[in-house]
Amino acid sequence: MQDPRLRLLSTVVLSLAAFASTMGAVVALVWWLVFTPRTKALPRPGVLFSLTAMIALTALVSAWGGGPGLSYFIRMVVVLLLAAWAYTETEEGEVLAVAVWALGKRIGFEIGLIAEMGLTGLLVIRQEIDQARVALALKGIPIGARSIVPIAVLLIVTQIRRADEVARLLVVRGYALGGRICPRFRTDPRDILASVSAVILGLLSCFPVRDVFILLG
Amino acid sequence: MRVELEDLLLSRGPFTLRGSGTFEEGVHLVSGAVGSGKSTLALLLAGLLHPGSGAIRRQGVSSTLLLLQFPEYHVTSPTVAEEAGSWGLVPDDVLARADLADRGDDDPFHLSRGELKRLILACTFMRDPDLLMLDEPFSSLDCAAKQKACRMIEERGRGITIIFSHERAVLPRVDAIWEMEGGILTALGNVPGAIPRWRHAPPYLAYALDRGARPENIRLEDAREAICRIQG
Repeated sequence: MQDPRLRLLSTVVLSLAAFASTMGAVVALVWWLVFTPRTKALPRPGVLFSLTAMIALTALVSAWGGGPGLSYFIRMVVVLLLAAWAYTETEEGEVLAVAVWALGKRIGFEIGLIAEMGLTGLLVIRQEIDQARVALALKGIPIGARSIVPIAVLLIVTQIRRADEVARLLVVRGYALGGRICPRFRTDPRDILASVSAVILGLLSCFPVRDVFILLG
Repeated sequence: MRVELEDLLLSRGPFTLRGSGTFEEGVHLVSGAVGSGKSTLALLLAGLLHPGSGAIRRQGVSSTLLLLQFPEYHVTSPTVAEEAGSWGLVPDDVLARADLADRGDDDPFHLSRGELKRLILACTFMRDPDLLMLDEPFSSLDCAAKQKACRMIEERGRGITIIFSHERAVLPRVDAIWEMEGGILTALGNVPGAIPRWRHAPPYLAYALDRGARPENIRLEDAREAICRIQG
């Protein structure tokens, strides 16, 4: 999907639908299968496995306590698939462009800039995890519970330090509030079809459709 | 002890690395411009990248270590002393060798890049592996630290040491020279025979060769001695 505005709309609507009910999750999963590149939009196997395992663990705890464990698992996995697709498709600068288009040059620019920095931070963390893996391998330290804790602390400290450096850089460059960009978007006819489908499916899964048909009858 | 490269080939986008040859015991210098593929070759030799085709055969090499170009990529601990300890070394010994004896409790990222490089260099040399690869070991170091790094390389006295560097001012005594250009690795042979064929030779060596001198090795003092010899 080329238009980031429609991508964001589809992601939000379908994520809400998936989170709200199991039926919504099934509908969102069907949409994901039809309109996304599916496996090409998944995170790396290790990341996908870890995230799915975390969801499964929470679902198990929920089920053990008498909660809707299976439903939770299905709903959260679908939300994860949608988030992975949206993240994979998002290109640099798109979030800023959408925020400015939606909320203007002041608040929109601020929110967009923060979101862009957050996304860049995710990319940097991924690179730093790879570097840490190489460093551990060179030192002959096996990756395990004992090595993960100091690495996690190091990553957090590095991220805080980087955020501070970026903030100082913005101040040095005279950044105060807001900014001016001219967002341009390309909309493919398939984007419109996908997003309209997402909205319709999202609404149908949220509203009690049976009642609507009774009213019509 | 030797490392053999057999028709090594690695392609990444438009970049292709090719190389063949044998690294025997001693100090090898792989020189080349920035972006020529030196770091990629170092990662291949360390087993951190895998070639598309060809093979790397290590004979009699039981331990391998690569010093990464950027010292911060090695850091996995929150203090300088713990970082030294994470290499399986006694922190006090490492800190003394790196001239950082009073910095043990500091955050490694509060060291200057040169200090951090000294720390990681000290760790790699004290681990004393059979195959030691140093990717740009002189970058971020001042002149005195570069000379100290040269001494550590020369004093190692065992195993295979491969230096990947574009440094052209302060160099250690080496046994063989290799060139990397546009991803192609070329073995120039042993020193001193390889020196006249070395296209990336530092200016002082080129000057000595132009004057008809034949330096015994690649250090500045070797060029000076060679010039003195021909001038009587």
